[in-house]
Amino acid sequence: MKLGICTLACGIWFSSTAIAHHSFAAEYDAEKPASIAGTVTKIDWQNPHVYLTVEAKDETGKTSIMTVEGHPPNILRRTGWTRDSIKVGDSVSISGWASKDGSQRMAGREVTWPDGKKLFVGPPSH
Amino acid sequence: MRLSLFASLLVTLPVSVAAFGQSTAPVKAAANVLRTSDGKPDLSGIWQAFGVTLFGETGELRPGEGTASSWGPPVGPAPYRPELIAKVKELGADNRKDPNVQCKMAGVPRITGSVVPMEVIQTPKKIAFLYESGHAFRIVALDGKPHPADLDPSYMGHSTGRWDGDTLLVDVVGFNNITWLPGPGHFHSESLHVVERYMLQPDNTIHYEATMEDPEVLTKPWLYRLILRHPPREERIMESDCHDNNQDLDHIVPSH
Repeated sequence: MKLGICTLACGIWFSSTAIAHHSFAAEYDAEKPASIAGTVTKIDWQNPHVYLTVEAKDETGKTSIMTVEGHPPNILRRTGWTRDSIKVGDSVSISGWASKDGSQRMAGREVTWPDGKKLFVGPPSH
Repeated sequence: MRLSLFASLLVTLPVSVAAFGQSTAPVKAAANVLRTSDGKPDLSGIWQAFGVTLFGETGELRPGEGTASSWGPPVGPAPYRPELIAKVKELGADNRKDPNVQCKMAGVPRITGSVVPMEVIQTPKKIAFLYESGHAFRIVALDGKPHPADLDPSYMGHSTGRWDGDTLLVDVVGFNNITWLPGPGHFHSESLHVVERYMLQPDNTIHYEATMEDPEVLTKPWLYRLILRHPPREERIMESDCHDNNQDLDHIVPSH
């Protein structure tokens, strides 16, 4: 068959030529897993990315705020989300990867709610 | 003059287009495909080359998914002129320089590899490509007429098309020098000339091939190949205003 599907080497080449909005590695560190557990205080359901602002308190009562980047609404709609899937006031835990610039931002991968519901909010790190 | 010459060649010398550049791989579409009422391969509908939404409904990518959406032999790296390779690397190392990160239209053929779909609307005389990415669109007359001689540079260029048997051929010129070719830092000049081939397959995928020629930056023509698929669900093109909340430019860390 002359028109064979590319083998692994071709896949690696083309994996770098798909157009997402930006390169994952340009903004987030795939070697630094991150997580946040707290209350959703703000939802930016906008392009080119959805942003969830999550406020957490540690055992001393100190508050930290994390901005979690996810897919755009167009992709989340196609992967099982609606705008009402997450609400301000929800208690969630979110896994993902830390930002490279040291800011309180992370690339979100999976959101978990207290009832066990889970949804992927962003892409894998690679 | 240069633009109209390209189009004239497309109209009058189809063999030269088929032999254009390094496109020696099989470029014939298959005969056993869905067809329109006028007998042409039916390219209409929603198509997508990449992205998590092509694989199931959950957004979970399993190993191997989302990468090997190509066909034919590997095409290798872009053949940039030696004196420009350093510029390619410099641009590629700073993602803020990517026009896509700046929310600009992706150009041709890069936009075909978007992670969001496009819709094709096909008539006997025209075919329209409506891209979710950047609100871009192309309306292509299928009469093979030459490009206008006085084109202003644009992100998506000017397209003219015709059927070569069962292969849709689209010739594109008139680009600005702002968009990139596929790949990091792959800038081009206003001399970019793209010939696209859309070849519908019996499994209702499209084998897409774009031949890029830009003698100002490339030493020879370069190919980009994709398999376009229908998403696995009822689908519609959505609005995607990238400028709405583009926070990334302030947080990207260059790698150089």
